[in-house]
Amino acid sequence: MDVTEPSPRPLRLGVVDGMAPPDWEAVYRDNIASIYRLMYSKVGNQPDAEDLTSQVFLGALPHLRPGASGGEVHRYLLATARTVLANHWRRHLGVQLTTLDEEVAAADADAEPTGEEPASRRVQRVRRVLGALPANYRTILELRFLSGCSLRESAARMGISVGNAKVVQYRALRRAAELGQETGS
Amino acid sequence: MSRRLRRVTRYVDALLRDRRPPRGAQDPDDLQALAAAVDLSSTRPQAGMPDPRFVERLEARLREHAGGDVRMERRVTRRGLLQAGGLAAAAAAAGVVVDRAVEHGGPSSTPDTLAVNGGDWHPVVAADALPAGGMVRFSTGKVEGVVVNRGGGEFLALSAVCTHLGCILQLNAAESRLDCPCHRAAFGPGGDVLYHEQPTALRPLPRIPARVRDGQVEVNVV
Repeated sequence: MDVTEPSPRPLRLGVVDGMAPPDWEAVYRDNIASIYRLMYSKVGNQPDAEDLTSQVFLGALPHLRPGASGGEVHRYLLATARTVLANHWRRHLGVQLTTLDEEVAAADADAEPTGEEPASRRVQRVRRVLGALPANYRTILELRFLSGCSLRESAARMGISVGNAKVVQYRALRRAAELGQETGS
Repeated sequence: MSRRLRRVTRYVDALLRDRRPPRGAQDPDDLQALAAAVDLSSTRPQAGMPDPRFVERLEARLREHAGGDVRMERRVTRRGLLQAGGLAAAAAAAGVVVDRAVEHGGPSSTPDTLAVNGGDWHPVVAADALPAGGMVRFSTGKVEGVVVNRGGGEFLALSAVCTHLGCILQLNAAESRLDCPCHRAAFGPGGDVLYHEQPTALRPLPRIPARVRDGQVEVNVV
């Protein structure tokens, strides 16, 4: 197709030719870990992370343009991830899109450096938040999330009832969320 | 309070077992607490790396997706996948409304129009860069299309998504047509169905609003 490069204008659509799609195996190999980690970091559990990661690749694959650079492919996968994640949260948590946009924009920033472990910054932030919590709040979250204790085990170690442990955990998470926002997450 | 407490407790329990949390709308005041739980959960040392079995399974699905016709109809998921990438889904995702000329019954020879909901005009190609009879593909990431120079100053924009199962059509410039890479089907430069092997008729390709402005062929998409 003989198409000259048109004069530059904003929002010009990408002109593609009719050739075969790019090497999807390379795209998959290069991006599967980072997209999965991104999804896991947003949903915190394996089944949802696997579902959403699958949706991203299965949804994006037919739209990848021939000759797209690695960065372009990664950005397209992230854009697809944004849509997939937004749909997931709207469907399952009733979260509005406006909130999600900010949330996923932050996720994009986390995931952008492809060679870097994207969780490292999050780990530091979580440690900062844990360190700033009152002692009993910090203890229950460390027991639950870092030591893998059940509520019953956590309650026993803290010398409180299971019912109290639930309340302390709930309040600790709320306080952790506030601190996360105060420290700019 | 006790109901919210129970919901958050169940949500956290699921995360810590690496299971799917219970569905359903949460109290807006608790969303940040849940996000904090997800943060904590996802920073556990063993968390966040894909299971190699999952990586292999998904790769196999993608291979099937990229594969030929033989395996295409074997699995329901394949069909669902293609349909999910099809006209209706693509249009919905793009905020585009399919304006059907015929509301009932089977396929019609009258092309649909992808009427834009909240779209805008975007230049694709300089009008004088596309010879009469020429076609050029464009993509917004959400909308796959083709601009056709019909001659006599008439430019047409069409969806480049097969109306069968939603495969992205490939430009066959030599034959001046769009070929479906999934099943044997082809569409002409007017969007009409040239041939196919399906038991029922296929719809022609939906049209996308197009115009020439300042020497540029523009299409109206989101």
